[in-house]
Amino acid sequence: MATTSNASPGVLDPPRKAVRPRRQNSFTSASQKGAGGGSRLHLKLLAPILIFEGLFVIYPIVKGILISFQQTSFGTTKWVGLANFSKMVNDPYFWASVRTTFEFTLSMVVVWLTLGLGVALVTNWSFKGRTLVRGLLAIPWAVPDIPTVITFTVMLDPNFGILNRFASVLFGVNHHILWFSQSNLAFISIVAMLGWKGFPFFGLIILSSLTAIPDDLYEAAMADGAGALRRFRSITFPALVPTLSLLALLAFIFSFQQFTLIYLTTGGGPGQATSTIAIYIYNTAFQYFNYNYAAAMGVAGLVLAVFATLIFVLVERRVIRARYLQEGLG
Amino acid sequence: MTSAVGAIVHSSPGALWSRRRKRAKRALRYLVIVGVSVVVLFPVYWMVVGTFQPEADTLSYPPSLFFKGFTFDAITSLFKDQPLASWILHSFQVSAVTVIITVTFAVPGAYLLSRLRFRGSGAFGFLLLFTQLMPGAMIVVPELEWFRFLHWTNNLWALGIVYAAFSTPLGCWILKSSFDNVPNDLVDAGFVDGCSQMGTLRRILIPLSRSGLVAVAVVAFFASWNDYLFASAFITVRSKYTAGLGISTFIGNEVVELYQLLAAGLIFSIIPVALYLVAQRHIVRGLTAGALK
Repeated sequence: MATTSNASPGVLDPPRKAVRPRRQNSFTSASQKGAGGGSRLHLKLLAPILIFEGLFVIYPIVKGILISFQQTSFGTTKWVGLANFSKMVNDPYFWASVRTTFEFTLSMVVVWLTLGLGVALVTNWSFKGRTLVRGLLAIPWAVPDIPTVITFTVMLDPNFGILNRFASVLFGVNHHILWFSQSNLAFISIVAMLGWKGFPFFGLIILSSLTAIPDDLYEAAMADGAGALRRFRSITFPALVPTLSLLALLAFIFSFQQFTLIYLTTGGGPGQATSTIAIYIYNTAFQYFNYNYAAAMGVAGLVLAVFATLIFVLVERRVIRARYLQEGLG
Repeated sequence: MTSAVGAIVHSSPGALWSRRRKRAKRALRYLVIVGVSVVVLFPVYWMVVGTFQPEADTLSYPPSLFFKGFTFDAITSLFKDQPLASWILHSFQVSAVTVIITVTFAVPGAYLLSRLRFRGSGAFGFLLLFTQLMPGAMIVVPELEWFRFLHWTNNLWALGIVYAAFSTPLGCWILKSSFDNVPNDLVDAGFVDGCSQMGTLRRILIPLSRSGLVAVAVVAFFASWNDYLFASAFITVRSKYTAGLGISTFIGNEVVELYQLLAAGLIFSIIPVALYLVAQRHIVRGLTAGALK
């Protein structure tokens, strides 16, 4: 590494010119494309990352698993085996939060993919100012969580919020709707807020796969007299399936981890209506100060996340393989 | 896309009819685009209106859709009443630490994932994914205990390190896609010309992956600028608050006026939104490098 420093790093010259032939090469050519050949390069690169992640991510995870088998009260810590887990299994609030989490993640997958697909299709039309519109429509993604919470709580305020005004003008609802105080409405409001905040990410990625579909497929279909719906069903959607299934997984992970938006708008309420596992754990740890029980639920949450991801990956493989088979036979 | 072929296909029944239909279709499209844009941007607009109009107008019902008056009172009083300026500086400090560390680790990590095959490379990739599955709320408790033990609570540098630890795996994966997109021929040409592995990384892969690097930096910046969870657990002294944490204490706070709250939200959004708009091209290309394959 040190011997190559004769040219300034990061130069943008064509690489061939920037590179000077060197006689001595600390890594033999056998190590190219990782044949291994006695090269220790990967260890040198790997070690710092593993140490860093080990200290600040892996170790806390292991520690979390350990404290889930302990109980600390009045400064003394003792091993209690599965006591925290049996408490969890018998805790109706825990199961309520698991249910809420799955309702919530499922809603977010549907909302994000639908909005993302819709916006991607619309911004894929050719029209004047397309680049500008694409940029503007992605702004919600760049707006941080806390301002999102602020503007939505103001918009949804029961007394002076603009949304109640819209409800009254458009739908003739003349009482003041308490958006965050009724269980179903609070859930829907959270989903809408998070949908707004997150859809551009999905839209951008779907749009980039849309633009990768070759135009001549559409031209051929139109020559055959296929309408817009037919073209979407036979060309666009099948081409998007791999991207959409990856995005569904990402949507699941993002919403499973969502904490700030929910916590700062409803704190998990009213009652337990918007209390996902993440919220319940946080409240257990920082309101009731039961770190050990919180850690036990954390372990359960991690298991759930890994399990759901595995199922997802398996199903995705299935779907994609089935598609390839169909194409092969067709 | 539709123009040339569409004209040939549709011109047979009657050119006039087809032209009218096309014009109607185009008008409809513009209508949809304008409608979608209005709905999507309305919350942002509402934040701007609430910041710059007198508070009485925001609190009146029915609210007016447009500015009634114009005032900078919200912003000037906000900076006078609250230590927002120093909180914003703290956020910059933390974000800088996060971005620098994340990019530093993402480059070798992405190189390992993309270009080297070694024993345990699959396990390494999986480990990086695994850390992303761990919900933050579940890790914050043991992480807090660990940082208390190290006496790193109320320490902004340490906060930046935590964010970097959680951004690095994602950074590795984003940059890996960019490295994957660099043609093998170019890298091989580097080897032929006598580059070492690190030489090809520095002179070929990195210069050709600028979008990926920008995307990694922006994602790391967003992660640390936006965070509330870790900041709320690790920083308990008000004078050390990050901007996000400080502004979150305004929500539901009787002392902070509503228009000050909206102003705080607007100020806090300006930097990431501006950053996004400036670097948009790179971000989109960097994030979608993997999706295009």
